[in-house]
Amino acid sequence: MSFTKEDVEQLSAALREPRWVLERRLDAWKIVEDSELPHGKIEAWRYTDFRRLKFSLDPFRLAAPQETTEITEVQETLVKEEGERGGYVVQRDADVVHQELSPDLAAQGVILMSLDKAVVEHEEIVQEHLFTQTKPDDHLFAALHCSLFSGGTFLYVPKGVSVSVPIESQRWIDEGGTGIFPHSLIVVEEGAELTYFERFQSIPIPNDSISNGAVEVVAGPRSHVGFVALQEYGGRVWNFQRIDMSAARDAVIRSLIVTLGGRFSRQEVRTAMRGEGVDCEMLGLYFAEKGQHFDFRTFQDHIGPRCRSDLLYKGALKDDSRTVYSGMIRVEPHAEGTDAYQTNRNLVLSDHAKADSKPELEILNNDVKCSHGASVGQMNEEEIFYLMTRGIERPQAERLIVNGFFEEVVGRVRQDEIRQVLSDAIEHKLTGRWHSAGEEGA
Amino acid sequence: MPDPILVIEDLHVEVEGKPILRGIDLKISPGEIHAIMGPNGSGKSTLANALMGRPGYEVTKGRVLYKDEDVSSLSTDERARKGMFLAFQYPTEVPGVSVVNFLRTAYNAVHEDNKLGPLEFRKYLQEKMDLLEVGDEMVNRYVNTGFSGGERKKAEVLQMAVLDPQMSILDETDTGLDIDALKEVSEGVVKVHDSNRGMLVITHYQRLLNYVEPHFVHVLIGGRIVRSGGKDLALELEAKGYDQFRTELGIPEGEELSDQAG
Ligand SMILES: Nc1ncnc2c1ncn2[C@@H]1O[C@H](COP(=O)(O)OP(=O)(O)OP(=O)(O)O)[C@@H](O)[C@H]1O
Ligand SMILES: [Mg+2]
Repeated sequence: MSFTKEDVEQLSAALREPRWVLERRLDAWKIVEDSELPHGKIEAWRYTDFRRLKFSLDPFRLAAPQETTEITEVQETLVKEEGERGGYVVQRDADVVHQELSPDLAAQGVILMSLDKAVVEHEEIVQEHLFTQTKPDDHLFAALHCSLFSGGTFLYVPKGVSVSVPIESQRWIDEGGTGIFPHSLIVVEEGAELTYFERFQSIPIPNDSISNGAVEVVAGPRSHVGFVALQEYGGRVWNFQRIDMSAARDAVIRSLIVTLGGRFSRQEVRTAMRGEGVDCEMLGLYFAEKGQHFDFRTFQDHIGPRCRSDLLYKGALKDDSRTVYSGMIRVEPHAEGTDAYQTNRNLVLSDHAKADSKPELEILNNDVKCSHGASVGQMNEEEIFYLMTRGIERPQAERLIVNGFFEEVVGRVRQDEIRQVLSDAIEHKLTGRWHSAGEEGA
Repeated sequence: MPDPILVIEDLHVEVEGKPILRGIDLKISPGEIHAIMGPNGSGKSTLANALMGRPGYEVTKGRVLYKDEDVSSLSTDERARKGMFLAFQYPTEVPGVSVVNFLRTAYNAVHEDNKLGPLEFRKYLQEKMDLLEVGDEMVNRYVNTGFSGGERKKAEVLQMAVLDPQMSILDETDTGLDIDALKEVSEGVVKVHDSNRGMLVITHYQRLLNYVEPHFVHVLIGGRIVRSGGKDLALELEAKGYDQFRTELGIPEGEELSDQAG
């Protein structure tokens, strides 16, 4: 592995961050030193064999923050063709290069800025929440992230404040051969409302890069929080991501993970329902082709009583792609009156593609309603014939059917402006405009 | 005499190696409506599917000419883009795809030189909906998903009106309709038909033909057309059933009429 303890120390020094941050980084680094690259013998990585994928951590160097980077703060991009935003954070490689927040939201006490800056400017609140949800001790990638995070987003919504238009972060990979470690910390206080949208993109790069990000969401009592991630990396990016959400009493918490890009993508999505009466929706959507390998792990952690969680992950696969979904419903001893649902559906469009689906249940309370279902199916030839009798060519008929398959998820997105972005991204992928590493060229 | 729209010559079709159609001849000229009647399993839907080039329906002999062109080797979508249309006996559900979106995609595929944007198309669709008295609710739903039998048949006729084909094949578009719906749907079919178009109407019932008056009625039994006549033939069939063909065809009592294909 090319990342070193010196990287951690230099990064911390360059960011001029408080001592406690460096200490947390170094604690995580100890775990890095004791960890190895996960392999098939570890249950959580059973279907993702890095040897077969020819992946190692050797070729990447840390994308270092640039001393010269200046953050622009012009208030001009909040209204875009694709709809209005309450605020933006744009990160390029290691640095946040642009941030802005509507003055109206700022006046109500909403905070939006790079996490680098927030650990200094809002030290107290960041310190209270940072790494309370994402823990370095799960595996090597989690530990690496907690050691090397930079850039990132800090978003704070005070008690009772309702943010009616989405706030967006964009992460761009502009440089090949690097590792980026964006971290988002989203704190939504009691009774507040927020939809947060995070997008991941890369320009065509000459060699492989790794993106190892995390999102922590802390949803206060009675808050309404929506989180949407759209991952559209190019074919040279290895994507690792954790999304750790915590919900207090009576919170309504929704997540949607849309994964289209990357040579490889491993995403772990966890909602911990800590308070009573949480209402949780977890959605996922993926389309894999051209040798892509996607690996999803979801966790519905029922800790508080009378919480409801409803999970639906749907994916389509083409060519020689491979996807893995494994989902854990965990019901803790005090979680009486739990309602938990989990569904994973896969549409396999080629004989060479393979989808695995693995539900897991761990139920420590008897008063529980719980169901899970998984399916792996093929394109229905009757539907194709029907569409073709209306003059539609086969490839377009297939696209219509895949879009229809996704509609069950996309149709649940409440904000028109986000739904449109997602539909466009899906259309882009379905019409063959995503490029694998080979097609991106060297 | 104008050139016929559709000519079927000695058409033999096998499905899964089983001969179903055993020599069909039929000629449909512009403005003509032909009805095909026949017992269950006699091969009516097989004919409809074979005309649209459904995979698995193997033409072992004979050919199909559409506007003088042999379409036997064309794919289903190519036939549709040339102006052939099939209203299904059992229309297929396409979950998650709205009728509006589906129909605009289909319209633009068929009318490549005159594509319509979403708003223009919605206006065009509205005209057809008004013509056929179809409400908004149906076109915003997913194609045939959760539709009642009658709604499906109405949606098929709406599709026909929107795509504006020259040769339409209607496979039991009247089956499963209540009396009012039958009237609505058949009146819709009549509105769409004109002197430039040909229509092949498969039905079990004379009552449809009260609205959609056929110029010719053909009786299909055991994969062959055993008799052709005017619209009075439909009345005769309704009165006497298909048993009258037993002696004519030399089929003994107790043996099913439809099994003659084997
Ligand atoms: N896919 C298939 N595989 C095997 N046999 C088939 C298939 N499709 C149709 N057949 C057979 O072909 C024969 C004709 O069927 P077809 O559906 O054309 O009848 P039909 O005249 O339309 O009947 P109905 O009035 O019941 O609609 C039947 O014996 C049927 O079982
Ligand atoms: Mg039939």
